[in-house]
Amino acid sequence: MAVRPRHMASTYARLIWAQFRAITEYPADFWTMAATGLILQAVQIAFIAVVFANVTSLGGWGFHAMLMLMGFMVIADAVTEVGWDGIWTVGQRIITGDIDYKITRPMPVMMQVGASAIGMQAAANLTTGSIMIAVGWTGAGVSAALIPAALLLLACAVVVQLTVITALCCTAFWMKGPSVTFAFLGAQIQENATRFPLQIYPRFVRGALTWVVPFAFVNFVPVSILTGELPLWWLAFPPLMAAVLLVATTLIARAGIARYESAGH
Amino acid sequence: MTTLPLALRHGLAVDFALLVISFKRRAAYRTQWLVGSLVSGTELLTALALWSAVLAERGQVGGYDWDAMRTYYVIAFVTAAVAFGGTEGIAAQRILDGMVAIDLLKPVDFQRARAAEYTGSILGNLPTLGIGLTVSALFLDPLPPASFAAGALSVASVLLIIPLAFGLMFLSIMLCFWTRSYHGVLWSRRTITAFFSGAMIPLALMPDAVQAVAAWLPFVHITTTPSNIYLGRVDTMEAIGLVALEVAWCVALWLLGRVLWSRAVKVVTVHGG
Repeated sequence: MAVRPRHMASTYARLIWAQFRAITEYPADFWTMAATGLILQAVQIAFIAVVFANVTSLGGWGFHAMLMLMGFMVIADAVTEVGWDGIWTVGQRIITGDIDYKITRPMPVMMQVGASAIGMQAAANLTTGSIMIAVGWTGAGVSAALIPAALLLLACAVVVQLTVITALCCTAFWMKGPSVTFAFLGAQIQENATRFPLQIYPRFVRGALTWVVPFAFVNFVPVSILTGELPLWWLAFPPLMAAVLLVATTLIARAGIARYESAGH
Repeated sequence: MTTLPLALRHGLAVDFALLVISFKRRAAYRTQWLVGSLVSGTELLTALALWSAVLAERGQVGGYDWDAMRTYYVIAFVTAAVAFGGTEGIAAQRILDGMVAIDLLKPVDFQRARAAEYTGSILGNLPTLGIGLTVSALFLDPLPPASFAAGALSVASVLLIIPLAFGLMFLSIMLCFWTRSYHGVLWSRRTITAFFSGAMIPLALMPDAVQAVAAWLPFVHITTTPSNIYLGRVDTMEAIGLVALEVAWCVALWLLGRVLWSRAVKVVTVHGG
């Protein structure tokens, strides 16, 4: 029973390592994407700084809590960029029949697709995201005793990010077209909406982002727990949500692959 | 005397044909209209939620009260639809996969052909703009222009965004001659454009030094210039001056694009060529 997970982990590691070797063959591309990551994050920080030059708090949140909010989103996204960026190509692979090849290999299809690319901007994003959390943590005066809780929340945030995007990408099995439209839409909405505390939105938007497309579990819920906005017993929810999403996404992916009809789909 | 008009007519016919093809290609993907509307609509609503919370505390910031801020972001929605609505990946991909070598054989100016295609793809984005403007007019109650002249000049400024955005796009796709990935270049340019244009946040709220730098960059004409003119934050003479400066940037970017193209094309290497 233990052989299959070990085999999967080892094959996954080899696939990612192959991608890493491939990207290091093109240093100009790597540095372009790393610079891109830095520019994106610098602009986001500048944006928050300009907002907080004009107000003292936003929805009851201060500058440092906002930095943590952004840091959690950036890191969760960056981890999926390192290990799962190929998922964005699933629509193209369905259209071209490339999934045929994946099905014949002894490894979960979606894992092969996910590990087929590395987002080179992740290096910069991991660094800037960590700095945002560290600076935000210190500035917001969050206790060091909460570090284990933060690590658990971060792990859950990565699972939520990865599973929601994967589930949205899997809609490509039912839709015509090479682009993963719903995933793109989801990612854009996440980037626009959840970089701010959800208190600034109407109640139904908050509800939708927490329980329907639960991007709130990537950053808003974890940071709310760490800063005391939510009581500590809320720590039970992120692992539960991550587990539910993992199962749901697996079922969606299996249903999609069952529907797959090879090239000409 | 007769060959020049004929050549001109032929050139315009080619431009128009490329524009129509690009428009049809863009218009064929109707889902993209919906997605474009939803993404842009989300950006607009997020910005409004943010400033509604801020203005509830402050009353006004940077000279914008709630009415002016609401109108500002409706204008930003329009200018973003024009500035970011064009298709550019195809032109970049032709350079990346070497198909640009075929373009070199065609009796068509590369830059001008891409400009026609870019314009066509922006026109193909009009439904997104139409949906957004209709919803905005119905539910957001934007202010009218400060005067007739302000309205006319702000429309001129918005139309000039097409050549301006093309100029910026063309410069960035030239980088594909030296890098294999266009994504980074695209994301960087879009992010910098959104920040320095004021599409993300009004420039009036930024520190003086940032405003001074932004005023000397072409991006400022993408959102700040049309919105300042529309809202009457500049008088008519200043507005004419800003539109003239926008025209100057369009010309400068076109010429710079030409210089870069003439250099970049020398590094084309296709299939061992």
